[in-house]
Amino acid sequence: MFEPTAFDLSAIGTGVVNGLVLGSLYALASLGLALIFGVLDIINFAHGDILMISSYIVYLVALSTGNPWIALLSSLALFALFGAGVYRGIIHYVLGKEPLIQIAITVGLGLILQNLALALFRAEPRALPSTLFPYPLSIGPLTLSANRVFVALVSIILCILVHYYSTRTKLGLASRAVAENREAAWLMGINVPLIYMATFTIGVLLTTTAAFLWMQIGPVDPYLGTIFGLLCWIIVALGGLGGVAGIIASGFIIGVLDSLGSIFLTPSGKYIPMYIAFILTIWFKPRGLFGRR
Amino acid sequence: MVEPLLELKNIHAGYGEFRVLHGIDMVVNPGEIVAVIGPNGAGKTTLLKTIMGLTTLYDGRVLFNKHDLTKTSPDRRVKAGLVLIPEGRGLFPNLTVKENLLLGAYTISSRSEVEERLKTVYELFPRLKERENQRAGSLSGGEAQMLAIARGLMSSPKLLMLDEPSLGLAPKIVAEVFEVVKKLRVERNITILLVEQHVKESLELADRAYVIQGGKIIASGKSEELRNLEELRRIYLAV
Repeated sequence: MFEPTAFDLSAIGTGVVNGLVLGSLYALASLGLALIFGVLDIINFAHGDILMISSYIVYLVALSTGNPWIALLSSLALFALFGAGVYRGIIHYVLGKEPLIQIAITVGLGLILQNLALALFRAEPRALPSTLFPYPLSIGPLTLSANRVFVALVSIILCILVHYYSTRTKLGLASRAVAENREAAWLMGINVPLIYMATFTIGVLLTTTAAFLWMQIGPVDPYLGTIFGLLCWIIVALGGLGGVAGIIASGFIIGVLDSLGSIFLTPSGKYIPMYIAFILTIWFKPRGLFGRR
Repeated sequence: MVEPLLELKNIHAGYGEFRVLHGIDMVVNPGEIVAVIGPNGAGKTTLLKTIMGLTTLYDGRVLFNKHDLTKTSPDRRVKAGLVLIPEGRGLFPNLTVKENLLLGAYTISSRSEVEERLKTVYELFPRLKERENQRAGSLSGGEAQMLAIARGLMSSPKLLMLDEPSLGLAPKIVAEVFEVVKKLRVERNITILLVEQHVKESLELADRAYVIQGGKIIASGKSEELRNLEELRRIYLAV
């Protein structure tokens, strides 16, 4: 008989807690994708690579200024321009076009970003030499780095703010109207292209914030976007576009599976449990765990 | 002579390469109810969408309330006082009745004014008040049409355009809808442009009408004159 030892139990406990931290960050990273998909009806395959490039910007600014907050603010400013520019220069022209055109254009954008990173930074991972809160915190029997607590708190708070934005503000209501019926939204006097640009930019800024948080707990390499992009898609599909609560819940599920997978499986095998969970869910509940309609 | 509220001059419009309207001239005077009738595919819906700026305009001008709106975006046309209740009503089915109404007042920034309008609209349609937190998609056909009209009124339009408001409704409900339209003109002095399949009823309701076919106006005039028009009788009234 296999008896779990105290070590195993606390390893599982720590694994679950770390998974919840990761999950909240994954949820935040997925929100931008879900928002853009919901309102613009376009699958942004460059989503993960935008997160990756954002991480490099955070890394570079933090390294050269020594101040992480300047890194956050300057990357937000930069990616507000980037988001609006990509919308106006590219996305605007493929909205409502055939899915293949949209896929080609966003995959292409992602590839450009990824190869740009490879050319500029090479493949080796880079981590911030000093993070925001580099000390451990004890919460009950568990010891957790303060960075992780910070990441989880900020992620959850931002998710709640996005929920508030989409349900309680005039702009949020307008964007839900655009998501449901574009032409009827025009007829209400809503400036539809402006809503599209605002939503795309907000989606990119959420992703940039997720990148900043990620840099407090992990390294960036040019392939970070591939992994994140896939994880975000799984989370959006599991959440069934059932609103922010669905995204947070499926973020937690994927985060915990990721974290436990990396304790008990090899680094390359750790994604197997979440893919199995994903396939099973799509098989039995094609609309996602929390899907409506 | 009154200044027209809406004036269309030589409108050529369609969707991308697909041309639908070939030179439409039309006038709607303040306080009038004007009907546009014609067979399926004649371009009636395209005409209303063109007035809102939702189609491709190749030639012609749209003048409204002394302003040239030819190149104005749809959202600004709503601000100028134009409202179209589209074919199929264009409700947001997953949003609540109240959210739909609030979206109708999207162009109004004063919160107290929005509340005021909401109150007036609920007085006109008490049924909607009862259902304000229900999803719009859960309403019956008649209720949904009332919501569409109520939502159209939220921005206090100068010209209200209705595209086939009777579509898919039982005859009794159609009569109710027409009753409401009549009331809007009498009580609120709203000018109305109506597209309808129910030719007989719309000619009873409207002061004047335009008959369009193949993207062109083939007849126009006072409703009672048109009622007696031989050709119209042959095409639409099946006599």
